[in-house]
Amino acid sequence: MKKGLIIVSLLFMLMPLLSACWNQKELTDLAFVMALGIDKGKDKKFKLSFQLVNPGNVTTGQGSGGGQGLPIAVYRSTGDTITEAARNATRKVSRRLYYAHTNVVVVSEKIAKKDLLYILDALDRDPEFRTTTEMVIARGCTAEDIVTTLTILDRLPVNKITKQLKASQAMLGENMSVSIDDYLSALVSKGKQPFLNGYSLIGIKSKARKAENLQKTTTDAFLSSNGLAIFHDGNFRGWVDDDKARGIVWIQNKLKSTDIVIPWKEKKKALVVAPIRSITKVSVHFVNQKPEIDIAINSEGWVSEANTVIDLNNPVIIEKIDKLVEKEISRQILDSVHAAQKLKCDIFGFGDKVHITNPILWKKVQGNWDEKFASLKVNVTTDFYVRREGIRTLPFWSSMGK
Amino acid sequence: MENAKIKAYQLFVLVVLFEMGSAILVGLGAEAKQDAWMSILLGLGGGLAVFLIYYQLYKYYQDIPLTSYVQKITGKWIGRIIGVSYIIYFLYSAARVLRDFGELLTSTIYTTTPLIVINCLMIFTIIYGIHKGFEVIARVGELFFILVYMMALVGFCLIMFSGLIHPENLRPVLENGWKPVLKTFLMETINFPFGEMIVFTMVLPYLNDAKKAKWVCMGGMVLSGINITITAVINVASLGTDLFTRAPFPLLSTISKIQLANFIERLDVLFMLYLVIGGFFKISIFFYAAVAGTADIFGFKNQTKLSFPMGALVLFSSITIASNYSEHIKEGLKIVPIYIHWPFQILIPSFLLIIAFFKNRRKQKEQS
Repeated sequence: MKKGLIIVSLLFMLMPLLSACWNQKELTDLAFVMALGIDKGKDKKFKLSFQLVNPGNVTTGQGSGGGQGLPIAVYRSTGDTITEAARNATRKVSRRLYYAHTNVVVVSEKIAKKDLLYILDALDRDPEFRTTTEMVIARGCTAEDIVTTLTILDRLPVNKITKQLKASQAMLGENMSVSIDDYLSALVSKGKQPFLNGYSLIGIKSKARKAENLQKTTTDAFLSSNGLAIFHDGNFRGWVDDDKARGIVWIQNKLKSTDIVIPWKEKKKALVVAPIRSITKVSVHFVNQKPEIDIAINSEGWVSEANTVIDLNNPVIIEKIDKLVEKEISRQILDSVHAAQKLKCDIFGFGDKVHITNPILWKKVQGNWDEKFASLKVNVTTDFYVRREGIRTLPFWSSMGK
Repeated sequence: MENAKIKAYQLFVLVVLFEMGSAILVGLGAEAKQDAWMSILLGLGGGLAVFLIYYQLYKYYQDIPLTSYVQKITGKWIGRIIGVSYIIYFLYSAARVLRDFGELLTSTIYTTTPLIVINCLMIFTIIYGIHKGFEVIARVGELFFILVYMMALVGFCLIMFSGLIHPENLRPVLENGWKPVLKTFLMETINFPFGEMIVFTMVLPYLNDAKKAKWVCMGGMVLSGINITITAVINVASLGTDLFTRAPFPLLSTISKIQLANFIERLDVLFMLYLVIGGFFKISIFFYAAVAGTADIFGFKNQTKLSFPMGALVLFSSITIASNYSEHIKEGLKIVPIYIHWPFQILIPSFLLIIAFFKNRRKQKEQS
């Protein structure tokens, strides 16, 4: 009896230990920060905007009017350091800011020019912050503009940004997911320079944060990814857009599909071929102690548009298309290499390749790799195979007899 | 010496869990950068050689632990002094591992919890385990071994399928030559974790079949050595050299990068679970060795009485040995290996072995 009593009382005494009282955080006391926007402040160094989720409004119907129905709330604060700004935010937010779900960090172009490095350690060191968070540069607008915009298909705008970058990487290849980790590892490596996606708010900026933006089929303002921002040692150097950005993603072996437009006979933009799979191999060989880069691209795809008379049944014609696509791909890749060489930023990691293959030579060249990179000889060999043409053989143009 | 008997399989399991314990969690061999795996393999080789010293001493004195045969070899009073220093060494090691364990939990998830609370919870469990005797620890080891292996396999598969492994991070191999690798081997990996097998000299007398001791222990060391090497390779391949050297707990950084199918992410818990189990065994065995040694030298018949006070000693030492994390690490990497690990793990046992060898020869001559 006595033993039973002792055991039961011991169990009761141990119960409080199970609740982890010290680090207890009630769910209703937390403010989930979904996205973080960092701008240049007027009198203090940084101006932060926190996109907090309003959990009750996330599942209600689309654009159901009123200020009550918005899924996000944005608070701003300033500070000379990230931690200071984050703590200053507690003056305005009724809950504790919780960063474990922060998926996107938006940095304004002004900050990116000089002060980007001063943001990174706070994000790197904090155990709550995820290292797989996306980082984007606000182009042509402030980071706050992007963080405060409401979006129409995705209830939470931050999901729109992350999903859109992934989808675009898979279908267009002119942007790719870059996490803070990727940026940091490219930053500390001597043979590689970092780059980030650019994001813009297009349209009437003042309407972006209002609920009425969601009431229209074509929203007055919407978010769009826009080019790649190239950095040198953490400072912004320039933008690379469209085709040239595509080459960058392709060389990193991250591109899955895109559209390649080729001419046929006299028509300029006659055929469009879409690659489905692509493998890129980058290797280095040395000529007279000078490195030369070989990029080998192996890809296959299908003909997605044929806007001219062409006999797609003929394998010889398909081979000709293959060759034309290969020429076009090589041209795009070389264009993007030249664009990066003009900016003198080795964003492809060619320096790392030299380091891996020939560490002794690397020790000599790593000092002025930027110059060496700018005059680097790059050879591109592409192998493209058109496998299918969709569910039609000859285009209707051939039947029209034109 | 208590009346415990353990089977060969239980000893094997204990060796593996003990060695892998905290070695997987910290960045072992980080000073050799991407060649860390080489210094770990060298450490395994060195550890096996050092273990042979302990094994030979075991063969000369099969039924008695270290603290007893030290007295037999060097005489009563010197032997007792050496024995007591070994007890303090084991207590210090237990306190260090407990501190490691607490630091990891407080710097990652329990950020506002005081260190003493976490260490307290752990040490109470261990005190209870030791209070029940060594056989209990061995049996618990059997149970957890399978669990740990399952978790390791699951973790490995998840890391592979997340596409985190980039083998080119391991190159260029031997970029800075053999010097950093050898330096890390002599200063770090031979002592931690492989040299810590000295603690098993207190435990080997419990083995029920003395013939199996060699293969069981060496097999356990090899298995754990391979596991630690694989972990180091995965860490460098996933994180890259820079993050591997900058992160205090590289395996945690690797596991937190796992992102599969949109919902399998932030699996830090897997890591914490492994940590608790590994830490439990490592601290238990060190602690048990200290308790058994004390009972042996000071003539306690019932050694379970000692578990509580010595546990309190370990708890308070773990708080006081260092005032912050940097001090703890610097002590562990720069001061402890030269002044503490090398004498206790290698120098004194070799010295004892030489004397025991000559004593044995004389005994054999007398017998014949």
